[in-house]
Amino acid sequence: MSIQSSMKTTLICVLALSSMIGGILVPFLPIGPVNLTLITQGTFTAIMATSVGLLIHQCGLISFGHATFFGLGAYITALLLKNTTLHFTLIVALAIGLPTLFGFLMALVVVRQTGVAFSMLTLAVAQVFHEVILKWRNLAGGDDGMSVQLPKILLGFDSLIFQTASTMFSISWCLLTAILLGLYLFNQSRWGRLVFAIRDNEERVRFLGHDTLLLRAFVFSLSSAIGALGGVLFLLYNAYVSPELLHWTYSGFALVMAIVGGAEFVLGPALGAMVFLFTKDAMGDITEHWQAIMGVTLIVITVWRPAGLAGIAETQFKKFKWGRRDVQ
Amino acid sequence: MNPVALQGIKLTRQFGGFFALRDVDISIPAGEIRGLIGPNGAGKSTLIDVLSGRSTRSQGSVLMDGQEIHQCTPQERRRLGLARSFQRTSIFTTRTVRDQLELASHWKNDDNVQEVMDHLDLKQHQNQVANHLSYGHQRRLDLALALIGKPQVLLLDEPAAGLTMQESLRLAQLLRDLVKRWQITVLLVEHDMDVVFTVCDRITVLNLGEVLMEGTVDEVRSSSLVISAYLGRNAA
Amino acid sequence: MLIQLLNGFVYGGLLYVLSVGLVLIFGLRRVVNFAHGSLFMLGAYIGYSVAQLAGFFPGLLASITCMAIFGIILDVGIFRPLQKQDPLLTVLVTFGLLLILEDLARTVWGKDFLSVQVPPLLSGNVEWLGLSYPSYRLMVIVLSISIMLALSLWLKKSAIGLHVRASSADALTTGMLGVNTDFVSAVVVGIGAALAGMAGVVASPLMVLSPSMGSYILVECFIVVVVGGLSSFTGTFVAAMLIGQIHNLGIVYIPEISSAIPFLLMFAVLIWRPGGLIVKGAQ
Repeated sequence: MSIQSSMKTTLICVLALSSMIGGILVPFLPIGPVNLTLITQGTFTAIMATSVGLLIHQCGLISFGHATFFGLGAYITALLLKNTTLHFTLIVALAIGLPTLFGFLMALVVVRQTGVAFSMLTLAVAQVFHEVILKWRNLAGGDDGMSVQLPKILLGFDSLIFQTASTMFSISWCLLTAILLGLYLFNQSRWGRLVFAIRDNEERVRFLGHDTLLLRAFVFSLSSAIGALGGVLFLLYNAYVSPELLHWTYSGFALVMAIVGGAEFVLGPALGAMVFLFTKDAMGDITEHWQAIMGVTLIVITVWRPAGLAGIAETQFKKFKWGRRDVQ
Repeated sequence: MNPVALQGIKLTRQFGGFFALRDVDISIPAGEIRGLIGPNGAGKSTLIDVLSGRSTRSQGSVLMDGQEIHQCTPQERRRLGLARSFQRTSIFTTRTVRDQLELASHWKNDDNVQEVMDHLDLKQHQNQVANHLSYGHQRRLDLALALIGKPQVLLLDEPAAGLTMQESLRLAQLLRDLVKRWQITVLLVEHDMDVVFTVCDRITVLNLGEVLMEGTVDEVRSSSLVISAYLGRNAA
Repeated sequence: MLIQLLNGFVYGGLLYVLSVGLVLIFGLRRVVNFAHGSLFMLGAYIGYSVAQLAGFFPGLLASITCMAIFGIILDVGIFRPLQKQDPLLTVLVTFGLLLILEDLARTVWGKDFLSVQVPPLLSGNVEWLGLSYPSYRLMVIVLSISIMLALSLWLKKSAIGLHVRASSADALTTGMLGVNTDFVSAVVVGIGAALAGMAGVVASPLMVLSPSMGSYILVECFIVVVVGGLSSFTGTFVAAMLIGQIHNLGIVYIPEISSAIPFLLMFAVLIWRPGGLIVKGAQ
């Protein structure tokens, strides 16, 4: 790595650290409980959007089923908390580990397809889970969803820290930042660049000596793990989960956020999630037409500015830095 | 190390009733540069595809260094030291020259990226995005990617395709120097006879999916069998 | 038991009419229309509104006409400009359209479930061999078979049908031969959309109307199209009937996992035969 890029990496690490510190301090600002709740929920969605965005960026794959992993993370945590007395760390490990394992196995089969076929496959898988949870009332309450009671003490802490916005926000924000940093470092690493090269020329990567299926399956499992983590956090905070989380249109929303934010950038999807969140809240009455707004934004960005909001920001930044001469 | 670097035994590739390759035997000693020529449709590219693992439905044996690799995937073959270049340029269009060559080097600790760039005259373009290179330079890049990591055996599918006579001969020279220096065994498919006769030690001639003859440059040049195979095609 | 089978054919018939539109659009434009379910939904709602004023059959006519026009607008406005781009772009744009149309429906017609009555003409039962079966449902089966026959005939015999088949096989060459491929596409997408609308109206007495009915049936539609093969009309028909039966029998006999079966089938097909169960060329 050149000196320039290691300087850049150090800078990014410093920024990440400051972001985490900021996240810990934010709850002390006078922003009001409603807003605090809002941004807490926002981090969960941001994590889910990031998982979808990872797959788009590294593999060029559009998944309509990633809500599955988010939903599974939430449901497994809920079911284990409700029906077993397993230690909390084990529960979290399973709630993230099982969807990741499933993601890996699914990827080995599904990632062989690309483009629309892949999208339809992920949709199909998502719907299977959705239908099963919906119809199997005895397991998880079906349509009504499931609420759980967190045990009083978790990991040595009062479990209320997960249910109070001020503390939960800091926890999930730090996790979100850690995930984004981790993804950035992964993308810069040899393996990250190799996976990205598969998008350019899959055959050549194979002839350079790499198993491209395994590489992409790895990225898929990574994105499943991230999604599942988001689901776990969601459950801990809300203490409630419903089959909506598994529906393919919920995946679709995460997809919209990732694309509008700009999937080619590590923090694009998270940015997209946050922007949608704040705009939705600020718009108040017009929230009735939230779905239409999402649809319009998706179309506009896809056709006109595929690089998304993050891309627009980058272009503006470059223009500012280098002058208008040669930047499009 | 086995004296025979690469060997194909009774290689057959069928498409329905049509035989692209039929019982082809080829044996290349270590360090040799073998040419593979033949009229259009002779099966040259198919043979490269079978040997490199790109073509999966074939019968016969492929042995590298005495080891059977017919069931190996292309990535496994590369890890064993068998690399190839492509007739239709196959590079990473969005990356710079240097970037993709570095990407190609992995488990081998000797970073021969610099050497390869030097030898193939790509150094001055190292920071250019591959898309912006001239066709000729892209062909070299395709070749360079195969040379990273000093493979043991190199399969080249018309590396001079589309190049001018001058560019072709230059490439041939560069190739021969590098390959002899690193003692790589080469199987080179080419239409351009000047390149073949300049670079190769021995030549195998294919016609209609079968081996017509194998010999030194002079033997092949003067063989009436070979001449009629080419002319026969034209006359028909 | 026979009743169950017939019900399966009814649902299958509806799926066929809807899915064949998707296949037509894919055949011409090589894109998967994620808004197809919304066309079904809109068709049903338009049919409902007009039916309130003038009766079921005028509703059907109005719906078909409106959706045909909408289809043409869709082709000209979305499919044609995005023709040369990655098909995934069209997927995203049509998904965006799905979101917009659902919202539109919710705004105009509200999110409560609406219902449509069976037209008086077909409200009785048909008696045959000791069995009594609703006439309306029988009509649906007859309709789907008629449409299949009509489409086959049209594609094989008419001039424009020839152009459609040619464009499906090779749009570039067809264009070079002087056929106005854009015109052909617009016609075909219009027909596809009209069929979706028709399916919507025809389905409305049999199910409740809600803004999300579109995305629900879209998924089953995808299954039919994947299992039947994106390039085979016969395949679509067979697959639609198959899925219709599975859907129906499943609900009756194994409700918990019944809805998962079609998806598993689609999954299996996409893995082993990306072209569908029916081999290409059975057209």
